[in-house]
Amino acid sequence: MKLMSNIPIDDKYLNSAKEILGEDNILFAVVGDLEMKGSYGSSAMVFGRDALVAFDNSYENGCIRIEYENVIRAKVKRMYGNAMFRVKDTDGKWHNVIRFSYAAADIGDAAAIFVENVRDEGYSDSLLDVVKSTYEKMRCFCPKCGRKLQSPDSPCINCQGKSKMFSKLIQYIAPQKWNLLLCIVLSAFTTGLSLVPTYITSVLVDDILPSGSMKRLVQVVVFLAVLYIVQYTVTGVRQYRLRLASDSIITGLKKDIFAKAQYLPMKFYDKSSTGSVINRINSDTATVQGFIMKISQEAIVQFFTMVGIIVIMFSLNWQLALLALCPIPIVVFIARRFGKIVAPKYRRLWRRSSSISTMLTDSIPGIRVIKAFSNEKSVINKFNRYCDEWKKEDCQTGLYAAIFPTLITFFVTCGSLLIWGVGGSWTISGEFGVSAGILVSFITYATQFYNPVNFFANLGDSYENAVASIEKILDIIDAEPEQDFGDFKSEEPLQGKIEFRNVNFSFDRSKKVLSNINLTIEPGDTVGIVGTTGSGKSTLINLIMRYYDDYEGEIFVDGKNIRDIDMAYFRSQIGFVQQEPLMFRDTVYKNIAYGCGDVHVEEVLHAAQIANAHTFISKMPDAYDTVLGERGVGLSGGEKQRVSIARAVLKNPGILIFDEATAAVDSETEFLIQGAIERLIRGRTTIMIAHRLSTLRKANKIVVVDKGEIIECGPPEELMKKKGKYYKLVQIQSMSEQLLKEKQSENFE
Amino acid sequence: MILRYIDGPEVRFTVKDKIFVDMEFYHTGEVFRDMELRRMFPVSGKNKYIAVVDGEGNEQAMIRDVDNLDKYSREAVLSCLEEYYMMPRILKFVNMSDKFKIWMWTAETDKGTVTFEIRNHLTAVKPLYDNRVLIKDANDNRYEIPDYTKLDKKSRKMLIPNL
Repeated sequence: MKLMSNIPIDDKYLNSAKEILGEDNILFAVVGDLEMKGSYGSSAMVFGRDALVAFDNSYENGCIRIEYENVIRAKVKRMYGNAMFRVKDTDGKWHNVIRFSYAAADIGDAAAIFVENVRDEGYSDSLLDVVKSTYEKMRCFCPKCGRKLQSPDSPCINCQGKSKMFSKLIQYIAPQKWNLLLCIVLSAFTTGLSLVPTYITSVLVDDILPSGSMKRLVQVVVFLAVLYIVQYTVTGVRQYRLRLASDSIITGLKKDIFAKAQYLPMKFYDKSSTGSVINRINSDTATVQGFIMKISQEAIVQFFTMVGIIVIMFSLNWQLALLALCPIPIVVFIARRFGKIVAPKYRRLWRRSSSISTMLTDSIPGIRVIKAFSNEKSVINKFNRYCDEWKKEDCQTGLYAAIFPTLITFFVTCGSLLIWGVGGSWTISGEFGVSAGILVSFITYATQFYNPVNFFANLGDSYENAVASIEKILDIIDAEPEQDFGDFKSEEPLQGKIEFRNVNFSFDRSKKVLSNINLTIEPGDTVGIVGTTGSGKSTLINLIMRYYDDYEGEIFVDGKNIRDIDMAYFRSQIGFVQQEPLMFRDTVYKNIAYGCGDVHVEEVLHAAQIANAHTFISKMPDAYDTVLGERGVGLSGGEKQRVSIARAVLKNPGILIFDEATAAVDSETEFLIQGAIERLIRGRTTIMIAHRLSTLRKANKIVVVDKGEIIECGPPEELMKKKGKYYKLVQIQSMSEQLLKEKQSENFE
Repeated sequence: MILRYIDGPEVRFTVKDKIFVDMEFYHTGEVFRDMELRRMFPVSGKNKYIAVVDGEGNEQAMIRDVDNLDKYSREAVLSCLEEYYMMPRILKFVNMSDKFKIWMWTAETDKGTVTFEIRNHLTAVKPLYDNRVLIKDANDNRYEIPDYTKLDKKSRKMLIPNL
């Protein structure tokens, strides 16, 4: 059987480990990519049933054996950009075992838990589960394309759809194919019509003018007038149809990007600025719109024009036609070179433009803070700097975008000069049957012919610009959405039993946020989660809410792994009241009924009453019809909080979560909110995070989280008797409350 | 808590075990054992404002500038920081390939040759104003290019489109 290992282990290490631990004893390995001295190299730990062997050049014999029974503590010490597996021996001395980059940090954590568990309980196969689940997570690759997946069951986004960039755009163009086809036919028609006057010119010069026939001249002029009327009428119709098609295509694309953005995991938003997402929906789609129109219409029209002119030119005089084609190879060469040079520049330009959008989305909503700190000048300077950088990049790109087309136009004009010079001499000498009329129409055709040549030569500029935009759009469209492959749904609300089993989590590998979380919450429990700021309380809630799904271990609700439950159903069963509730720019009524489709008015009023929100809402001039400003402007913090509780009431969830719901309000408002909460939590599993421990007086269980670990858990009375961390927190708060009371009474006197 | 600044050679730092130091104040005789060092500005001001923290992460003192310490302490502090902070300096790019929008970059660094994965070059590659470039790979490991304009032509050609 193949050894479990993060990357294949060197045979020399494996063979040596087999000798030291015994072949049957070997369970798994952690392979490092750094040497103890800090340079890239190889190191490894092979874990057996009762001991591990570590390999590193720093060891005297190249390796060291460590018995689990001699290990008091095992842990991964995360440093900056690297980590160390460390063990504490029975003398209390820490030893650095091997060193690795963050690539092996997660599996190192699992190995440390394994070592401590084996030391405590003796080896059993079940202890390997922690390690196995970490390995499984590390090995989630698409069997077809090799792209890393978030979980073994998740489909590969890359293989699901067509991988080619432009082929993905076809799905947006396809619904408009008839409209576009009609436009192409109309284009071909108008292009054909536009070639006629040039032909008539040669007839005019060679036949009509020498014959002196006024009648024929009038006929020609009337014919041309009718031709122009038809041509421009058809052009108008075509442009309108084209606008319809183009708007439909781009609306579809915008809708899809926005819809996809709703289902992207929180990790995407942790790493991407909102400005860059907005930039993709607005400006990039406009760039792509322009390009799609260029390709689907202009390119086809220009192509037809070019072919049509070539055919006419060869039919008029093939020698002159060949002369006209002379500059083409040079033009093609320059166009290709231009594409290569300008492509990276457009990517850089996109970055600069994205920086400007990010700055705008940061500063405009934060205008109150900017004003409060009189920081207008600094913000303006920063914005100016971003604009200047964009300008600099755009000017550089513009330089290339100006030089290359000019060069192309120059060579194209040289082609015209050839026709003037060589063709003119043939007309004078009477060679190759080049009459004056043919020469004149040839010169006009050549000018018309070089338009499409110029167009195709310069298409590279728009192409590279569009490619840069499409790449960014596909960043969203192709991004892995939230994992929602569970299909469990029920008509009944959730009972609310929550279990965390061996849960480990980190936002990025540089710092572990939750370690080895094991917790059971029974249905109807009211659980208070306490701990200092940054201890991991909110992250615990984020995992229950499935905002982050890539944790190690498992979370069960009512005995079902939450990853196996339909996401929409699951979240509909949870009422989440946050510290800073987000209100939308809409009426108070709609803010309460947010996410609840067909809800009766009285249900909303009832929810507002339970949440102690009805009184203040009914006192507002427009009551429930009051339109809130952006992010709830118009309501105080406590009022927003009560609207948010009303939302939760309306949802009638099986599980309720309060994340510091009363942290930012005064005592009187807290009292009102507390009353609302107490009415709401009856009979439901409730999890409350609170700094003010008085908020938790209804809790029948307290969980104390410290540095990502649960250090105490149990009924509050028991924890008080234990005189641990919870006891200390209660003491500190009682003291500060006492001091506050004394101060208040002093002021009162 | 008021920060206790260390301005000059009033303290002696002694390396204990790679990333741990003992800190001894000459004038008070106080000794703090098994301290760790943390850069407050690991990206911008590397050897200025170094916090001295205990095993619980509580800050005990702050070194204003490592250069102001005596030679022995300075070497001790720098060696600890060198161990703790691993941000290899990229000297040259050997190869950049991309498959299915996942970039694999191979680079020669001051710590040896390394191949790493970049998921999204827009967020992973951060150019700073002084031509420095910071790179964070898919595993959250960090790399630094002190001045990208000083890379060889081939490396620059590979890198610049990503800036």
